Amino acid sequence: MSISLNRIGLVAARDYRATITSRGFLIGLLVMPVIFVIFVVVIPRVLGSRSPQVTGEVMVIDPTGKVAAQLQQTVTPADIELRRSMEFGQNPAAPPSRSTTTPAPVVGPPVPQMSLVSLPGDADVSAHKNWLIQPRDATPQHLAVLVVRPDAVVRRPDSAAYGNFDLYTSTRIDDNTETTLRASIRAALIAARQRSIGQDPAVIATTEQVMQPESVVVSVAGERAGSRGVARFLPVACGVLIFFGVIMGGQALMTSTVEEKSNRVIEVLLAAVSPLELMVGKLLGQLGLGLTMITVYVVMLSFTLAQYSLVALLDPMLIVYLFAFYIVTYLVFGSLMLTIGSAVNQMAEAQSFMGPITILLVFSYSMSAIVGQAPNSTFSVAMSFIPPINTFAMIGRVASSAPPPAWQVWTTFFISCVTAALVVWFAAKVFKIALLMHGKPPSIATLFKWARMA
Amino acid sequence: MTAALEIRGIRKTFSDKVAIESLDLSIPRGATYGLIGPSGAGKTTAIRMIMSILFPDRGTINVLGQGSALEAKNRIGYLPEERGSYRKMTVGAFLTYLGCLKGRSRAQASGRADRLLGRLGLPDVSNKKCEDLSKGMLQRVQFVAAIVNEPDLLILDEPFGGLDPVSVRLLKEVIAEEHHRGATIIFSTHVMAHAEELCEQIVMIHRGRKVLDEPMAGLRRQYDTRHILLEPLDAGANLLVLQNVAGVENVKLNDQGCEIRLAPGTDPGGAVRALAAVVAPARIELARIRLEDVFIRLVSESGIANESSEALRTHLQGLSNTGAVQ
Repeated sequence: MSISLNRIGLVAARDYRATITSRGFLIGLLVMPVIFVIFVVVIPRVLGSRSPQVTGEVMVIDPTGKVAAQLQQTVTPADIELRRSMEFGQNPAAPPSRSTTTPAPVVGPPVPQMSLVSLPGDADVSAHKNWLIQPRDATPQHLAVLVVRPDAVVRRPDSAAYGNFDLYTSTRIDDNTETTLRASIRAALIAARQRSIGQDPAVIATTEQVMQPESVVVSVAGERAGSRGVARFLPVACGVLIFFGVIMGGQALMTSTVEEKSNRVIEVLLAAVSPLELMVGKLLGQLGLGLTMITVYVVMLSFTLAQYSLVALLDPMLIVYLFAFYIVTYLVFGSLMLTIGSAVNQMAEAQSFMGPITILLVFSYSMSAIVGQAPNSTFSVAMSFIPPINTFAMIGRVASSAPPPAWQVWTTFFISCVTAALVVWFAAKVFKIALLMHGKPPSIATLFKWARMA
Repeated sequence: MTAALEIRGIRKTFSDKVAIESLDLSIPRGATYGLIGPSGAGKTTAIRMIMSILFPDRGTINVLGQGSALEAKNRIGYLPEERGSYRKMTVGAFLTYLGCLKGRSRAQASGRADRLLGRLGLPDVSNKKCEDLSKGMLQRVQFVAAIVNEPDLLILDEPFGGLDPVSVRLLKEVIAEEHHRGATIIFSTHVMAHAEELCEQIVMIHRGRKVLDEPMAGLRRQYDTRHILLEPLDAGANLLVLQNVAGVENVKLNDQGCEIRLAPGTDPGGAVRALAAVVAPARIELARIRLEDVFIRLVSESGIANESSEALRTHLQGLSNTGAVQ
């Protein structure tokens, strides 16, 4: 019988529509990107834009007489923003001499405006703690009392360590403001200590500032910008996308086939389509589902990278490889799950078969992250030629900072295509027999027997 | 014109069990054939092979001039014994989907589905989900699914199972309409009364073998009845005296009167006159031939039945009480 592409298309479209409009799929598809966007994009911006700027006073009791002066400098908004930009991995926009100019804005909460109230070094701390207790709407806010230890700048002769400081806070100081204050105190202490030993803090700060330019990857194809963070992240992300696409598509395949058997609609369908048309249609329908999911995720990923001006790091060929390797991986694991769906009568019966497949899938997926760290080791190269692990291993290598030669990528793809063809062929044989089998679920040996019978 | 169905020497085994053995069958176009036999006789296996859902170990099956049903699926309607639906789909979408799978356009399939639903008393269910229908309604929808493509060959496997009498009547009417339209109909049942009513030709299968392939009219002539039904004018009349009438083999009393079985070779006309002379009848008639009697006689005479006649009769009637002619 000639295969009817029209019938295959109708089966695929029905399965695709039935699954993509189901509540479970929509939740599964959208929850992960939504959470991702909320945490990566929305929350930082909302926190940054909605948090009111804190304005308040910090009382300083400084017996050394040197820290308070430094602190006047380190609590200024310009200093705070400079330190934040350094923490976020950004380089100062200019050499140290110009570092007091406003640095590039960093996503995060607003910089608190803190002013200092200096007390004599011998002031009684316990008498001034009550300064922190004030009505909620009182201004200016009394944020904290800083008590510097006498040996915080100059060590005692009998001690190898510097003294520290004590910080008393009010209930009105938030975590961000306290963190900022502590960082300012630390910077002030270090500067005071450096001065006490005859060093110029500005000079030392200059020596500590090392520009961290993004690497430029040089290859026969030319030069391109690199990013170590993205290089670490991409292999894992690609592996996750293939893994979730296969799990989602495969599960939907298995579930729909079990339902068709248990609803007894299968014989009605077989009166209209051949088993092969039905199987191919179902495979394609759920393949479309997985491709939709991956497309959504790739768009989300691109959008996220664009937020940090890193979208140029996403090689278009990587996306091509991602889709290609997803398709062949899905065909292998999806066909196996389809075989299981056709062989059992209820989802509960499928669990015993699913165990080995899930373990194999998880093991294969873990390869993408492991291989991404050493993409051209002997182990990585070997893994990228052993099916069904090879697709995960190869996408990990392709997404890494040192991608493999093209011939290796295409060899992996070829091996995967052959594997997929063999598994689909096996699945088609079992599917044809198993669809009309009811009663006791078969053993794995029985599945092979059916494949021989067909 | 080629036959609608041509089966030559097919055999099918499952492991060591022979399901169908050396089955030959030729069904002309436009005919209504009844494929009958007790449960487990091999009817459904034969039908699944006709539909190319199963494949014979040997032999050939030619359907609507094609080498197999796979080549002619768009022209075949099939109502399987185990039939279901997509529970979450609406009735209209389900029927349109099946119509499209069988080569009809969406508009054609949808239009015919709506017409047939109306014909079967379900004009308002098109937008309802299949899971929201009662069992009887769903069975009618499944019947519509079988004929939504205006098939040239309609195969119905136990189409009336579990249906109420009104639905059975409606389905019989639509089957007759399909027949008049020109469709060839193969009708499988273990309820022989349905076959007697609907079919022009009867094919009996027992233990995977064909034991009869005759026109219904010929069967009525060939297997002359030996049963007379008598309802006395006087309800208190002693009917057991009829036992003494010449040619009477057995008298079986029932609520209306009695059923009289004649000895082989007895002239039914003479027997009717003799019986009426003994007990005045309100009604006396020759019982119509019953397929189950023919079947039992055939398998008993051929020696292929190990069961007793009563066991066979019980098997034929299954769980239904439709052994009597309707």
